Amino acid sequence: MNGNVTSNRMKGRDRQVTLVAAIAVVQAIAATFFVADAIGDVAADGLSTHIVIEGLIAFALFAGVALGVWQVRIMLRLAQRRDEALAIASGALAEHIGHRFSEWGLTDAESDVALFALKGCDVAEIARLRGAAAGTVRAQLSRIYAKAGVTGQAGLVSLFFEDLLG
Amino acid sequence: MTAELSAPRRWDPIVKLTHWGIVVAIILNAIVTEEGSGWHVRVGYGLAALLGLRLLWGIVGPHEARFTAFPPSPFRAIGHIREIGQGQVTHHRSHNPLGALMVYAIWACLAAIIASGIAMAGAPPSDPFAASHEEAEEHAVASPATSDDEDEDEREEEGGAGEEMMEEIHEIGVNLLYVLIALHLMGVVFETRRSGRQIVTAMLPWGNRRSR
Ligand code: HEM
Repeated sequence: MNGNVTSNRMKGRDRQVTLVAAIAVVQAIAATFFVADAIGDVAADGLSTHIVIEGLIAFALFAGVALGVWQVRIMLRLAQRRDEALAIASGALAEHIGHRFSEWGLTDAESDVALFALKGCDVAEIARLRGAAAGTVRAQLSRIYAKAGVTGQAGLVSLFFEDLLG
Repeated sequence: MTAELSAPRRWDPIVKLTHWGIVVAIILNAIVTEEGSGWHVRVGYGLAALLGLRLLWGIVGPHEARFTAFPPSPFRAIGHIREIGQGQVTHHRSHNPLGALMVYAIWACLAAIIASGIAMAGAPPSDPFAASHEEAEEHAVASPATSDDEDEDEREEEGGAGEEMMEEIHEIGVNLLYVLIALHLMGVVFETRRSGRQIVTAMLPWGNRRSR
């Protein structure tokens, strides 16, 4: 129910991090081969000007690995921070909603129904989700709207929207 | 407590990639490549790179991947065994204390295998299909010794004995590794039955890392 959009975006982000990580892994393997090969060359032929170039390449390869790893680290940290901010925001919103519901004096059952209504469910869906008769849900909804001082679902939603916008 | 319980464990892509890369490399060198062949050496170097990257990640990676998140502590491992005995389940963000010991044991074992392998084979062969890398290497290793004509024989003897010792270390290391892998898999199965499938899905490439 809670937004496929968000989870899709998260998957995209995960894929992106995985891609950068995979490149870092390939770079690490390439760098290791190159350096081992260069050391083998030195052992076989001794030092030569060639080794200066090989040394430079080795440096560049390892710098690439370090940068890749650093990039992964940053991406992971950003993702984590966004997750946390989202959790805090949704936690705060849930708390606020609960606060309002008790202010209005909603019963537990009414709170449940009101939450589904806020999430955009219609009467039939709420009835199915709660295993209740449609008539019962309709009666609960009208009591909820009366207690909240609104005329319908759109009014209920816009109450919280107003709160969010400040 | 509840927050910790509900926080899903997930391994970052570097941990996953290096884990499965190491698994593939071990399987390749155990059953596909020929012992001491060019490809065997190359796969070994690839394994070394993966292990090196994972160890670097243990210093600079995110919290769960760092060594500090799973210190090798026999005391905590004993505490964990006691927990198992009492039927308690604590969820760990990183490896559990017993698993941590296993991880370090596997890494140490791999390091010994890699080091002894490199000591025997030298640099990775540029042509993996070349018949025998060993011969070329023996030349390279022997040349500094032969240039010193005084204790030439002695050095060669030493080289031979060293080679034999490296072979011994390599073999013992590999056999030990197989035992550790068997224990590792038993540990994974055991923890999965104790704490749930999340243990494994957290490590799988397609594991649903963020679903709550
Ligand atoms: C060649 C065989 C294997 C080796 C050498 C090996 C080695 C390792 C190592 C070193 C770690 C620590 C990971 C890290 O922190 O970077 C680990 C963790 C893990 N491995 Fe393996 N592994 C092998 C096979 C498998 C297989 C086949 C599975 C699939 C079931 C598996 C599942 C796991 C899991 C779930 C963890 C995380 C443990 C935890 O939650 O603490 N491993 N393995």
